[in-house]
Amino acid sequence: MSEALELAQRALRAAEGDEALALTNSERSGLARFAGSEVHQPTLIENDVVELQIVRDGRVGVAVANRTDDEGLRALAARAAEAADSAPADPDLPGLAAKAEPPAVEGYDEETAALSPEDQAHLAAAAIEASSLDLYGFFTSGLTEVAIASTTGLAVSQSMTDSCIFALAAEEGESGHAEQTSWRVGEVDPAEAARAAVAKAERTRDAIELEPGSYRAVLEPYAFAELVLYFAYDAFGALGLLEERSYAFGRVGEKVFDERLSLADDGLDPGGLPKAFDFEGSPKTRVQLIDNGILRDVVWDRATAKRTGRETTGHAPPSSLRRWGPLPFNLSVAGGEAESTEDLAELVGDGIYVSRLHYLSVVNPREGVITGMTRDGTFRVRGGRVAEPLVNLRFTVSMPELLAELPGLTRDTALVNDASYYDERYPSGVLAPAVATAKFDVTGTGSTPGI
Amino acid sequence: MRELCDEAVSAALAAGASYADARVVLRRAQTVATRNGRVDRLDDIESDGVGVRALVDGAWGFACDRRLSKEGAEAAAAKACAFAKAATGGHRRALAPVEPGQGEYRTPVERDPFEISLADKVAHCLRAEEGMAHEDVKVTSAFVRAQREKRVFVSSEGAATDQELVECGGGIDAMASRDGITQIRSHPSAHGGSSSQAGWEYVESLAFEREAPRVAEQAAALLRADPCPSMVTTIVVDAEQMELQTHESVGHPTELDRVYGTEAAYAGTSFLKPGDLGSLRYGSEHMNVTADPTTPGGLGTFAFDDEGVPAQRVPVVAEGVLRGFLASRETAARIGSGSGGSMRADGWSRMPLVRMTNLHLEPGEGSLDELIAGVDEGLFLQTNKSWSIDDKRLNFQFGTQVAWEIKDGRLGRMLRDATYTGQTPVFWSSLDAVAGPDEWRVHGLTNCGKGQPGQHAHVSHGTSPARFRNVQVGFKS
Repeated sequence: MSEALELAQRALRAAEGDEALALTNSERSGLARFAGSEVHQPTLIENDVVELQIVRDGRVGVAVANRTDDEGLRALAARAAEAADSAPADPDLPGLAAKAEPPAVEGYDEETAALSPEDQAHLAAAAIEASSLDLYGFFTSGLTEVAIASTTGLAVSQSMTDSCIFALAAEEGESGHAEQTSWRVGEVDPAEAARAAVAKAERTRDAIELEPGSYRAVLEPYAFAELVLYFAYDAFGALGLLEERSYAFGRVGEKVFDERLSLADDGLDPGGLPKAFDFEGSPKTRVQLIDNGILRDVVWDRATAKRTGRETTGHAPPSSLRRWGPLPFNLSVAGGEAESTEDLAELVGDGIYVSRLHYLSVVNPREGVITGMTRDGTFRVRGGRVAEPLVNLRFTVSMPELLAELPGLTRDTALVNDASYYDERYPSGVLAPAVATAKFDVTGTGSTPGI
Repeated sequence: MRELCDEAVSAALAAGASYADARVVLRRAQTVATRNGRVDRLDDIESDGVGVRALVDGAWGFACDRRLSKEGAEAAAAKACAFAKAATGGHRRALAPVEPGQGEYRTPVERDPFEISLADKVAHCLRAEEGMAHEDVKVTSAFVRAQREKRVFVSSEGAATDQELVECGGGIDAMASRDGITQIRSHPSAHGGSSSQAGWEYVESLAFEREAPRVAEQAAALLRADPCPSMVTTIVVDAEQMELQTHESVGHPTELDRVYGTEAAYAGTSFLKPGDLGSLRYGSEHMNVTADPTTPGGLGTFAFDDEGVPAQRVPVVAEGVLRGFLASRETAARIGSGSGGSMRADGWSRMPLVRMTNLHLEPGEGSLDELIAGVDEGLFLQTNKSWSIDDKRLNFQFGTQVAWEIKDGRLGRMLRDATYTGQTPVFWSSLDAVAGPDEWRVHGLTNCGKGQPGQHAHVSHGTSPARFRNVQVGFKS
């Protein structure tokens, strides 16, 4: 039995006589953050967090603590019980998940789990030393163990590793970015990421402005993944569908996107950051959200599934995010036929090339309208080739319109890190290709690349 | 807790640190949220631990431990030093001199929010939801929160502080849908309501029940409102949206770590340069911005920051000219001015960063009605809906939940889906009036993100409604 599951079982025993579910998250991580080619904010974190959910007569209360001795767990149980007693009964409560065997998934790597703080610092140094420009970013790796035990017989745990090199090469008037993420540190090459960031940065000097308007565009995986993620959180969760406020409402089963587009949420894919179960302990399943342009489904948890007589798909969020309803944490866009972003530029002909985005915000969730800025490598595309650099551009796009005509997608996909490491560590990322779109709306210009 | 900090600092010095500080934080937070008449979230969270920061040969290291024991404190100190020693770089870091802070501080509260039962908090939310019942409103939600944080800090230079900060707050939302349109109204703010360092009396002052019917009716009315047209016009921005405008386009760009590039990889940098201090025209003469961690009720209120620097009120922009940066001891030494005072950490497991405390747009004169009366044609914009700004904090775009047409100095019809955009110094230069002290309110937000690993900061902004001329609303045609 893993230590995380043992802790969950101990917390469960502290909830004497009640229906209960204990969830533990144990984190051992290091993040060597650098700026100006110096490691300036190195952070080591070790924490064990226990969340205890108690159910009494249809009333639910949750308490969380990181004191794991017996006294601490007894206090935790008392607070959870008080919370449950304070809640009105919920007749629609789906109850705790029944015992289920989670799927066998990958996502744990001994070498990654064993990295020491010195190793993490050296991997950051490898990126810094490979960069001919000032480098900003971080190397991080972590071991996260999540376990759930319940009075309904659940006893599941998963050990996850993750590693990421994030490299932003930047000086006055030029900047470029690259990153690599994997649950196997052996697949992450900090020096290669740094060199890619430098190569991109060197092409951004003397950036010029662009008139606002609608452009055809190439979006690198970093840019496309972030757009898909922001759209998906509003559009592909069951709660938004049931509450008639998401783009998916009234469109399930309709062909609304380019037929080249297929999108799944797939926690089982070893190419991503695999997950065996969700925050209710339900087994993860692969959900086809878009199939050749047809909006097929959204993701479900036990509460939303009960409202419609369905089964959960294993997408319950942590309790702190419950207001969002079930969420897709393992988005995966199927690759297409293009061999490279150069091929996509040929398909675009005349337009722009976008490497990366900054500060996205959903302007209209019902219509999938998102605004944000490009950064660290925006270029004009002329005659089917990537041409002069552009300043950072403000865009305001309708995602359904952006996805309505995708002249090409690259065959290869990249795992784009989605974790910003707030709160407890929970590795997540999006598998995405680069794409060409017929419609990317530029609505303003901003700062130049660089520091 | 003081002893634990002392032991951690001693262990760090013994491991080779030239400077070290330790912070024990005991945090308790309660959240009660209801949605469509049912409890959506009812939790009680505790998180305790010690964080140790060490400067070894000019390099920082930070480590933490959840164990509040001598063993835990010493382990964190040893790991912080080891990580610092492994850090790549030239490392010539210095700290601005400061008299070591010593003392205690407690948030004054009338009614401890933890003495209000969870059941009463649930009832408070459900009553507010009942007030938002409306045939077009598909989702009603309400929430209240409370937090108590005990922070004990010790540095190797002799700082020793003990503070207990108490917060509470909440908010309500009504989401209406009809014929393919969805609209939302919120009170007192969107995206997490508003909070204050205060007792339960603050939550009661938000008057959920009184405001609930208006919130629902306006959400429903927005379904029938015309979309806001694109144009260049005069806008009057309400105090709540001015909070975010000030936060994003003044607060973040004046953080000195961003100016020096150390946030480049995540939150971004700044259009400001160190040499701009004292000379850069940020906005019109009506623009006066002050950082003040002594503001009663502010979420950024304390007696000492997380470097033990005493709280101090400082001008950031005076009559439109840049007069100050938000700084740490390290960045203050680098720019050769001040002693920091804006270092804050999220809990015990994160390294302190330069953060906003309470950043205020100082009031001007007159009322909101007088601001509106001075507009022949324009818009009155209320309550944030969306927000985005570029990595140097120049190009921004904000959306608001509601816009009201202004014609001949009077409010007219309601409009939906309004956005406005601009370039920071150009926009602030178009400021021609800020309403007076009677309209000035302190708003507290709890979702300011920064740093890697990520940290949330709780900050407040005092603002009045303000008027800007020649602003692009919607998109340039």
